[in-house]
Amino acid sequence: MEKKLIGKRIMRNEDPRLLTGQAQFVDDVNLPGMLHAAFLRSEYAHARLVRLDVSKARQHPGVVAVFTAEDMGKDWFPGPPLVSPPPTVEDVVFHSRRQVPLVKDKIRHAGEAVAVVIAENRYIAEDAAELIEAEYESLPVIMNIEKALEADSPLVHDDLDSNLAAQLSQKKGDYEVARKAADVVIRRRILIERGAAAAMENRGVVAQWDAKGQALTVWDTTQAPIPIRNGLASRLGLSESQVRVIAPYIGGGFGPKIMMFYPEEMLIPWLAMKLNRPVKWIEDRRENFYATTQERGQVHDVEIALTRDGKVLGLKDDFLHDTGAYDPYGLTIPINTQCHAMGGYDIKNFTSEFKVVFTNKIIVTPVRGAGRPQGIFVIERMMDAAAKELGIDPVELRKRNLIQPDAFPYEHGIIDQAFAPLILDSGNYPAVLQKTLDAIGYEKFIKDEQPRLRKEGKHVGIAVAPFIETTGIGPYEGARVTVEASGKVNVATGIGTQGQGHFTSFAQIVAEQVGVKVTDVRIVTGDTAEFHWGTGTFASRGAVVAGSAMHAASSMVRKKIFTLASKILETPEEELELEDGVVRIADMPQRSISLGELALLANPLRGAVEPGTEPGLESTAYYGPRYGPTAFGAHAMILEIDPDTMMVKIRRYVVTEDCGTVLNPLILEGQVHGGVSMGIGNSFYEQLHYDENGQLLNASFADYLLVGATEMPHIEVHHVETLSPLNELGAKGAGEAGAIPVPALFAQAVENALHDQSVEVMEMPLSPNRLFELAKS
Amino acid sequence: MKIEGEYIFDGPREAVWKLVRDPEVLMKCLPGTQTVNKISDTEFTGEVTVRIGPFSGAFAGRVIVSDEVPPQSCTLTVEGTGKIGFLKGVGSIAMTELEGGKTLMKYGGEAQIGGKVASVGQRLFDSVSKSMAKQGLDTLNEILKSSNA
Repeated sequence: MEKKLIGKRIMRNEDPRLLTGQAQFVDDVNLPGMLHAAFLRSEYAHARLVRLDVSKARQHPGVVAVFTAEDMGKDWFPGPPLVSPPPTVEDVVFHSRRQVPLVKDKIRHAGEAVAVVIAENRYIAEDAAELIEAEYESLPVIMNIEKALEADSPLVHDDLDSNLAAQLSQKKGDYEVARKAADVVIRRRILIERGAAAAMENRGVVAQWDAKGQALTVWDTTQAPIPIRNGLASRLGLSESQVRVIAPYIGGGFGPKIMMFYPEEMLIPWLAMKLNRPVKWIEDRRENFYATTQERGQVHDVEIALTRDGKVLGLKDDFLHDTGAYDPYGLTIPINTQCHAMGGYDIKNFTSEFKVVFTNKIIVTPVRGAGRPQGIFVIERMMDAAAKELGIDPVELRKRNLIQPDAFPYEHGIIDQAFAPLILDSGNYPAVLQKTLDAIGYEKFIKDEQPRLRKEGKHVGIAVAPFIETTGIGPYEGARVTVEASGKVNVATGIGTQGQGHFTSFAQIVAEQVGVKVTDVRIVTGDTAEFHWGTGTFASRGAVVAGSAMHAASSMVRKKIFTLASKILETPEEELELEDGVVRIADMPQRSISLGELALLANPLRGAVEPGTEPGLESTAYYGPRYGPTAFGAHAMILEIDPDTMMVKIRRYVVTEDCGTVLNPLILEGQVHGGVSMGIGNSFYEQLHYDENGQLLNASFADYLLVGATEMPHIEVHHVETLSPLNELGAKGAGEAGAIPVPALFAQAVENALHDQSVEVMEMPLSPNRLFELAKS
Repeated sequence: MKIEGEYIFDGPREAVWKLVRDPEVLMKCLPGTQTVNKISDTEFTGEVTVRIGPFSGAFAGRVIVSDEVPPQSCTLTVEGTGKIGFLKGVGSIAMTELEGGKTLMKYGGEAQIGGKVASVGQRLFDSVSKSMAKQGLDTLNEILKSSNA
């Protein structure tokens, strides 16, 4: 079937409503009798809660109720574990400790919720919260992940022997043998620090309990409405069919909104039922810094072993990973780091052990790449260190080690975050790298422009970083496609949307099969009343997994259309055409029937529906891959740096992306641009600074620097399409691709620019101050 | 946060010492002080309203004086909590006589600050603490001069 809509640069269906303020976000939900919640949050990072007196707050006019952990009685219990340890790996250590609705006895990070006030409005609730008398006995604060593992360290969780939350090793081949055979072994320590997701929309929950109808409705800024529905039903003793979770338009997810059963998610619905009135909680920006999850603290001890002509024989990466005060997300992030630590290179021997460590900081869950950028940073920095040591051009060294096109499917023999074998399904890595090199003019720059600029005293550097991205993982998603009597198509799926353009890209997939206009396809995402089964939007899987389910369901509807039309028009299926919502006989176009009429006929008011068939032009399909496709890309950048101020200016930025079949280039570019802006932020501007007492020192955008239009370069996006054999669309995910290689790219560019100062960057993020220190030392 | 500095008083050391150890005088000097209570010779509590950037709020505090070597030096241990945050600090003052009947006071200390004010007001701490110290010491000097006159 020739592709008419897939791959086309179609304007987004959702934009008119979004741009005119007509789209519904959680804070737009206002219900009669609605009350507002505000939280009292601990200012101490590690303390015992000695005394809590809420009586004055309860008496404040306009306050309806104040709840503490004690007031919750037997309804107080921690959130559920979200990911269990992989059953397929031996000797896994895993201590599961999850966040609680309200602190009972011990505070483990600054910002933990201690009490909740429900009042007529948010102002009153916050004023009343200030009247709560709380007495804390402060405890020594555990901040450094290496010190946290020392024998005499105070404990975040007193019922454990240490602050070790988890430990896991993975091996491929035999690294020790590789090391002995190598001509060169290079060791480095790599430090990576935390950043926030900083979505434009903060979190929020609105809950309404209909006591007469015995139904609970929850609006939640979640990336996973179905698991939230299931978990809430279980926690509240309701049937899943009594709970409806709606994730309406959401202003950016980026990972923290897939973290489930935040304290507020556990409390607000419970409060709505307890008080029998709707309750709303909307997070403000300062709360977001403390109450929404973060990512990234890791310390790596890496070793790479190579031959003299630059062939990588083996890699060893042992690291510590900071999980914060609790570990609800299991081992997802560090396993992702492990799986990306070999990049897209043919490395036959690999060993990696990680230890996950509890600290008195905010919880870590997937944010902007879920551990993948760290893995890519490690391998790309080691490749650059090796290139310098061996005197080989860094791009040439990479070319010598990239997995070749004929090596796919390439099995690594270790497992990924979904406990599936890490198998790279397809790709043409050298072609993608070459496209980027050509686009940025690598050869010409190194030979002509850079020497000329250096003679002029300018510090201009070039960098190229290839990377893989595991995407589209299971377990599954589903979709239901229905042609309605109007001739328009209604589609529902279980995942949610946070700006990825699902209302358009999914409509293209469906319209391609069902033969209607893209604007005639109505997509419903994120409403558990519309579709019951699914997981969520994360790990760059929405288009691949839900999209594949949509493709399957629409193909089935297409078959039904042809079968029924063939009967009605008394013509064999092969002689029929479907276009613009009409089925016609190819040689006699005046004999036709519209999809709307067909839909009516398929749902008869008289007669019978034949046994073994279903009424209507509707199908539901599920897609569950054993493992997900791996995307590949190469970014390149030309960067100028002022050695006196260490301020940077990105002169050129090139991306070549291979995410298989591109569904909509406009949307893909949007995803890439957004990712790159976050990657640049994570490289040079964004870092969460904690002091030694667990206090966040820059919990506002005045001091936490988000990249703005003035920092952004023009981004040139190129494509290579190697179709994935794993799904009928041939698609791979691209949601996080823009962000993944950027810190590695930035480090390379800075080193290249400061050629006369022999700076080596083995940490992320950088800043002008830090670069200055590195250059001086 | 580190606080340190020097100040020259227009008066002899014994006089400065007497003023520093008088809670009523301190109340007049520390900007924003609402109340000071003497619990004992070495322990005071009080309430101070502080403004740092977008925040202003009352701190309920306790000061303990120790390691006294009158009229030369002592250590001050401070603790305060309020709606905008909390503070814990230890500092010391050391005074030497100068020519012309003047006194040089050197002071230094470290404070831990937490809560709301720590996460938003970081950049301002230095300048706020310097200006509070200068204002307080200037007022103390004025009181010293007028009591001598």
